[in-house]
Amino acid sequence: VIEFDAVYYDGRTSARTPVRVRGYTLAIEIAAEGLRLEIPLAKVRVDPPVSGTRRALHLPDGAQLQTDDHAAVERLFPSAHAFEGWVHRLERRWPYALAAIALIAAFAWWSVVDGLPRAAKIAAGFVPVAVEVNIGEQALDFFERNVCQPSALPPARQEALQRRFAALTKGLDDGYAYRLLPRACRGIGANAFALPGGPVVITDALVKLAQNDDQISAVLAHEIGHVRGRHGLRLGLQAAGLAALAAALFGDATSITSLATTLPTALLQSGYSRELEAEADDYAFERMRKVGLPPKAFAQIMQLLEKDRASKTGGTSSDYFSTHPATAKRIERALDADRSR
Amino acid sequence: MSQPSIERGAAAGTAATAARRYPIEFTAGTGEYFRIWIVNLALTVVTLGIYSAWAKVRKRRYFYGHTRIDGEGFEYRANPVAILKGRLIAVVVIAAYYGAGHFAPQYQILLWIPIIIFGPWLLVRSLAFNAYNTAYRNVRFRFEGTYKGCLRVVLTRGWLVLTGILYPYFKHRMIRFVAENHRYGTARFEVADFKKPFISAYANAFGLGILLVGALAISIIWVGTIRTKSPLLFVGTIVLFYVGLFLLFAYIRARTTNAIWSAVRIGPMRFEPSLRARDLMWLYFGNLLAIVLTLGFATPWAVVRAMRYRASKTTAFASGPLDGFAQAEAQQVGAAGEEVADFFDIDIAL
Repeated sequence: VIEFDAVYYDGRTSARTPVRVRGYTLAIEIAAEGLRLEIPLAKVRVDPPVSGTRRALHLPDGAQLQTDDHAAVERLFPSAHAFEGWVHRLERRWPYALAAIALIAAFAWWSVVDGLPRAAKIAAGFVPVAVEVNIGEQALDFFERNVCQPSALPPARQEALQRRFAALTKGLDDGYAYRLLPRACRGIGANAFALPGGPVVITDALVKLAQNDDQISAVLAHEIGHVRGRHGLRLGLQAAGLAALAAALFGDATSITSLATTLPTALLQSGYSRELEAEADDYAFERMRKVGLPPKAFAQIMQLLEKDRASKTGGTSSDYFSTHPATAKRIERALDADRSR
Repeated sequence: MSQPSIERGAAAGTAATAARRYPIEFTAGTGEYFRIWIVNLALTVVTLGIYSAWAKVRKRRYFYGHTRIDGEGFEYRANPVAILKGRLIAVVVIAAYYGAGHFAPQYQILLWIPIIIFGPWLLVRSLAFNAYNTAYRNVRFRFEGTYKGCLRVVLTRGWLVLTGILYPYFKHRMIRFVAENHRYGTARFEVADFKKPFISAYANAFGLGILLVGALAISIIWVGTIRTKSPLLFVGTIVLFYVGLFLLFAYIRARTTNAIWSAVRIGPMRFEPSLRARDLMWLYFGNLLAIVLTLGFATPWAVVRAMRYRASKTTAFASGPLDGFAQAEAQQVGAAGEEVADFFDIDIAL
C-alpha cells in the first residue's frame, strides 16, 4: 500500500480539502473527514513531472488531487510518461545541461558558418529572376534619388567603358540584363557596386583613380560576379534565416529584450559579405582570363583603392568593421591567379 | 450560465479593511529553469523542431506551477499534440503569407486585408486556448470574447492606429475587450475604468520622447561642430536612441501594467501592482546586456528575472475566501489560432 498526503478538489469549485490517499494495485482510496472515495487506477490520469511543481492527478468528472509527494506518485504509476519522465531526468542534472549547451553551440556554429549560406544558396535558386530584377530596381531607385547623379565623364569616355563592359558580359546567357551605369555619387568615393538582376554602378572617382582600363575591367568583372552569384539575394536570405534562427533559439524573452539577439546577427552579416567578396573575386579572375585580361590588373586597382582609402581617412588600413576582407589577402590571391594564367 | 457563488461583497472602501493579503509568489530557480530550457532546446534541435511543442508545454508548466497565490500554483494544461498540430498549420499559413508577399511585391499593400480580417480571429482563438488551458485550484479560466466583438473594436477604432498619436486609445479599447471577457470559472473579470492612467502613461512617454529627440538633435549639432565625420558620433547617436527607447518602453510597461491590474476585480479578489519604471528599465537593460554578452545563453536567466520582479511587485487582496469559485462548462479550443498568432506576435498583454 502506498500512502500520501494530497489536496482534493471536487471539480465543481475551488474549495480544497486536505486528504490522505491510499494506493492499491487496482484503485486509490481518498479519505478525509466526511469524505471517502474509491477510484479505479485506470481512471486516474497523472501529469508528467516538472521540477519543483506539484503533481496533479486528474480524476473522473474533473476532480483532481495535487500532491508534493512525487515519489509516491512514481511508485503508484511506474509506467506513466516514460518519455517525459526521461526528459525530466535530463533536466535535473547539470552534466546533461552542459552536454545540451555544447550541442546548441555546435548547432548554432554550424548553421552560421555552413548551414545558412548553403540553405540561402539553394533557396535563391527558387527565386525567379523577375523577382530579383524587381528588388534590384527598387534599390537602384533609392541610389538614383538620394546618392547618385549622372556621370560627368565625357561621352566618349563613357562609350569606351560601355564597350569594356559589353566585352565582359558577352555570351553570359544567364537571363540577367547587365547594364553599366557610370555615376557621380556622393560620399562613397572611388567605388563600384552591383545590384540584384544586373545593374552595375561605377563612380567617376573610381574611373579617374584607375591607371588603365584593364583595371576598370577587373572591377567590373568582380561586380558581374556578384550579380551572377545572386549575392544580393543570398545576403538578404541569410539575414532572414539568421533572424529566424536567433528567434527560434533565444526568442522567448520580452520583445524589447529580444532585440538583443539581433545585434550579434548584424555582426555575423559582415562575415557573410566577406565570403561573397572572395567568391566574386574568383569569378573575376576566371572571367578575365577568359577574355584575355591579366588578373594582375585586379591586384593593381585594389592597391590603388587601398591607398586612396588610407589617405582619405588618414588612418591605418586595419578596418575592423570593414565589409572587405583584408585587402592584402585579396591582392595576393589576384597575383596567384595571374601567375597560374 | 450560473452566477458566481461568491457574494459580490461590500463596496471597495469598506471591503479593503477586511481584505486578506495574498502576495504573489514566484518560486522558479534560475539554475533549474536554465537546465529545463537548454535540455528542451537541445531536444527541439535534435528532432528538427517537432519536439518544440513539448518544450513549450514543459516550460510553461514550470512557470505556471511556480507562480503561486495562497500557496497554490497555476496549472498549464495544454496538450502538446494539439500545439504541434497548431504549429504545422501555422507554418503553412505563414509560408503562404510570406510567399505571397515575396513573389508579388506589387500587391504587398493588399496583405493588410487578411491581417485585419483574420487578426481578430487569431487573437480571440489564442486567448481562448490559453485561458481554457490555464487553471488555478482546479478551476479553469475562460475567454468569452467573440470574433464579432473583436472585429467590431478593430473596425471602429483600428483607424486610430494610422494616426500614430491616437494609438493608445485603440490599445486601451483592445485591452479592455480582452480583460473584460476573461472568466475564472464562472466569475467575471470586472474591469473598472483605467482609461485616464493608461492614456496619461502614453502621453508622458510621448512628452519624454520629444525631449529625448530634442536633446539628441542638440548633442549631434554640438558634437558636429567640434569634430566632423566621426563614426563615434553615429554609433553614439544610435546607442542613445536605444537607451531612450528602453526608457520609454519600461515607463509605458510599468505604468500601463499598474493601471490595468489595479482596475481588475475577480469575485472577491483585487490586485495591487506597484511596478516602477526605473526598476524595469534597469531590468530590461541588464537582460539585454546579458543576452548579448552570452550570445543568447542568458535568456532563461533574463526571463526568470523579469517574471520574479513582476510577481514581487504584485499583491492580491481578497475580501472573502478563495474557496467559492465555481467551475463552468467550457468548450475545448484548438491550438492553431494560438500558434499563428504567436508567430505574428499578435498579443494583447495584460
